[in-house]
Amino acid sequence: MSVGYVAIQWSRHKRIYDAAAAVGAVLFVGAWVITGKLMWRGEHALSDEVLILRGLGSCAIVLLHVILAIGPLARLDRRFLPVLYNRRHLGVMTFLIGLAHAALAVGYYHGFGVVSPLVSLLTSNTNVASLREFPFEWLGVGALAILFLMAATSHDFWLRNLGARAWKRLHMLVYIAYGLLVGHVALGAVQTDRGGAYVWAVGVGMVVLTALHVAAAWREAPIDAGRASATPNEAWLDVGSIDEIPMDRARLVAAAGGERIAVFRHKDGFSAVTNVCAHQGGPLGEGKVIDGCITCPWHGWQYKPGDGCSPPPFTEKIATYQVRVIGGRVQVDPKANPAGTPVTPATPMGGEGGHA
Amino acid sequence: MSDPIARLLIAALGLYAAVGGVVAAWFLVRGSRRMDAGVRTASVWFKLLIAPGLAALWPWVVARAGSKATQDDSHDA
Ligand code: FES
Repeated sequence: MSVGYVAIQWSRHKRIYDAAAAVGAVLFVGAWVITGKLMWRGEHALSDEVLILRGLGSCAIVLLHVILAIGPLARLDRRFLPVLYNRRHLGVMTFLIGLAHAALAVGYYHGFGVVSPLVSLLTSNTNVASLREFPFEWLGVGALAILFLMAATSHDFWLRNLGARAWKRLHMLVYIAYGLLVGHVALGAVQTDRGGAYVWAVGVGMVVLTALHVAAAWREAPIDAGRASATPNEAWLDVGSIDEIPMDRARLVAAAGGERIAVFRHKDGFSAVTNVCAHQGGPLGEGKVIDGCITCPWHGWQYKPGDGCSPPPFTEKIATYQVRVIGGRVQVDPKANPAGTPVTPATPMGGEGGHA
Repeated sequence: MSDPIARLLIAALGLYAAVGGVVAAWFLVRGSRRMDAGVRTASVWFKLLIAPGLAALWPWVVARAGSKATQDDSHDA
């Protein structure tokens, strides 16, 4: 949490994930080159440069698929949550691999003439009016620019200074980058007559990603349906019976037109906080109480259930909500308290938790 | 894209990046004192990590530094 900035927040787990991702990327490109050499021989043989640059490009787009799949996968199955912790590092790696692909491609295809490589890149294909002949390189440049912007602003410094909303919006551009890359690969394959394998591969990837996003949204539809049916003036929202909230875990409800609320059970009481982590908006309700603190599943930021404040020396705060237990059912007041407001946990005997 | 337009575009990008480099350097050496005190005590590696973003988003850095300066002045008044 934010007491001072460190360059990279590496933990043992993150080091392992980063090392595994780096080794995986090297193996992928190596396997690509070897397979390419075995498949295309004699007069059809491809140069090492072409094999490597295509291997790098393919590796980058596979990594982008992994990045886009992690979110819905983690919502569908909590076992994927640890992978989510490392998504930003994977994003930076994707940009670096994409950059290597672009540098090799520009050098190889545009670097040997009298014209500057960058000018050649922009002027060698001018069929902007044709969908089939559109310069696919431009799509790749656009995607790389977005991936750069995301990698360059991935540090917590940016989250803090741009603000969570602007930062999130900026990073949603990843979907545009993905669309541009799909166009880059598909058009590139069509224009260079490399057959339909690439087009099929990106098509399958698109179908899988869409299915995962739809499945995750469908899974969470009941929570949002609760929000849709609630009115802004509704007094208390029913969370469920006390037995339905596991010890040190949360159950989610949605306030009318507002954020989701995570209602945690800890020791003998029930406490409610916003579901949105102050760090990067991670889903606190999918985390658990560790060492007496609600712990975000994404990067481990912690908040005390009783007041939504991070334990000292940290200073982050999140909104809390009033909770009560009536007839064995836990209910929450959808009106958020200001961030850091202490609320006494509600107990089956003690009824409503009031401001402490 | 025609050759002159391509050259103009690349020159404009180069200029943008050059200004970004200057603004990033200024921010890391002096400007961050006002805007985010956490930067001052951070390591060189951290500063190198945020430098590309500062250079890319330099209009934001300048705008924010300007608004901070205005706030500080009104507090001083
Ligand atoms: S989103 Fe990073 S710790 Fe919660």
